[in-house]
Amino acid sequence: MAYQTVKAKKSLKLRILPWISLTTVVLLWQFCVSPPGVSDWRIPGVLLARPYDVLLLGIEKLSDVNPDGATLMTHAWVSLQESVTAFVLSLLIGLPLGLLMGWFGVVRGLFRPIFEMWRPIPPVAWIPLTIFWFGIGMEGKVFIILLGGMTPCIINAYMGVRMTNPVHIQMARTFGASDWKIFTSICIPSALPMVFGALQIALGNCWTTLVAAELLASDQGLGYLITAGRSLGRTDIVVLGMISLGITGVIISQIIYRIEAKLLAGIRR
Amino acid sequence: MSPSEQPKAKIEVKNLTKKFGDLLVLDHINFNIQKGEMVAIVGPTGCGKTTFLNCMSKLTDTTEGDIFIDGAPADPVKHNLAFVFQEPTALPWRTVAENVVYGMEVKGVPEKERKERLDTILNLVGLKDTADLYPNQVSASMMQRIAVARAFAVNPDLLLMDEPYGQLDVKLRFYLEDELVKLWQTLNSTVLFITHNIEEAVYVADRILVLTPKPTKVRAEVIVDLPRPRDFLDPKFVEIRRQVTELIRWW
Repeated sequence: MAYQTVKAKKSLKLRILPWISLTTVVLLWQFCVSPPGVSDWRIPGVLLARPYDVLLLGIEKLSDVNPDGATLMTHAWVSLQESVTAFVLSLLIGLPLGLLMGWFGVVRGLFRPIFEMWRPIPPVAWIPLTIFWFGIGMEGKVFIILLGGMTPCIINAYMGVRMTNPVHIQMARTFGASDWKIFTSICIPSALPMVFGALQIALGNCWTTLVAAELLASDQGLGYLITAGRSLGRTDIVVLGMISLGITGVIISQIIYRIEAKLLAGIRR
Repeated sequence: MSPSEQPKAKIEVKNLTKKFGDLLVLDHINFNIQKGEMVAIVGPTGCGKTTFLNCMSKLTDTTEGDIFIDGAPADPVKHNLAFVFQEPTALPWRTVAENVVYGMEVKGVPEKERKERLDTILNLVGLKDTADLYPNQVSASMMQRIAVARAFAVNPDLLLMDEPYGQLDVKLRFYLEDELVKLWQTLNSTVLFITHNIEEAVYVADRILVLTPKPTKVRAEVIVDLPRPRDFLDPKFVEIRRQVTELIRWW
């Protein structure tokens, strides 16, 4: 008997369609916005920048620190540092807590009420306290982003463990497995697909909270770039900041997706 | 009067009783299993088979009575119990080989011995070629073989099987039943095989216990004294099958 892995080829249609839709949107956008200094029937430049101008600005901002004080890469790097630090911390705290809450009644009993109280408070509401506690440095921003990233980690890890196939647990029990062994060898692997779902959501949350946190007070970061663009009345800077947020987010998502596909080889096809 | 009442039984089930509230499900069940014996249990549907198995594997507590293994009350931590469930229980995140090892891992079998036993068992059940595949890459019958191999690999004191081949087609079933008999003979395990397929029971078992409907008791014991490999068309085989069928149909 020969068993081979069959690689399914993506059809031509599926490979082309995303590019068609992207190109169409960009072209439509370019066409529907007036160039700077021109006023006609189209959307005026003070309300929205054209993608072409944004591209030019982006290239220029790679080396130019004006008018907001830092290059695009510096902004992106600062934001990346903040959100990745917060993201990693939220995984380190949220995932173990959620997993343990799913399997051990004691942990669930202790943490569930606190979690339910804490959950509805949006991270941004913590900004004033954060300023009292950490001042306006990097720590404060990381703390706020962390609060946003932790919720999906806890919920998904918890749900993942709760959704473990009971037959698997029974099987382990009949072999005489201890609670801890069942937790580590059955519950955690079962929860992995949900946990990886959480990584994506948490990252999204971190990335969105980032902008709010950078409103706090900062002189660098993509969120700051957007704010700076607003106060300068420069829509191209605003859009550049937004697009940079989007692109960086996609890149991180892709990295996580790759790791996920490797680790979950048996669970998902 | 029968071999089941000889002294020094491997497994002794004494007065096994289970009540859910006032509902009596298992009513003082008594029987013994000798070491290396394959006993089949057949009964009408809804005869409390699942409850019975859960009690045997200690997944649920008994109301009264107990199960003794080598004279001591059965305990999944102390004894080697293994259970092959009706539904597939292969862990999807482990390869076939890693799945088969799982039971031994829980039991704390030393690394070296694990490897040796794994090799033997994979060869016996014909999973050698597929050892490194994940369960979602193998067929349904292989899924069940994984579970059977995993159970046999721990050298169980008692191996419980809950209609392990109930969901497979006839041809595969014959094939896997032969494989089961081969495994059991090679490894000299003690097996309690539950099924509602009478032909299957007569084919694999040394002894068949026929259960009554709820509240469940052991209604009769049929000794299958036929040479192996058995022949479905042998008049003696047909006769025993008829006898068991009558016992189930009788009321």
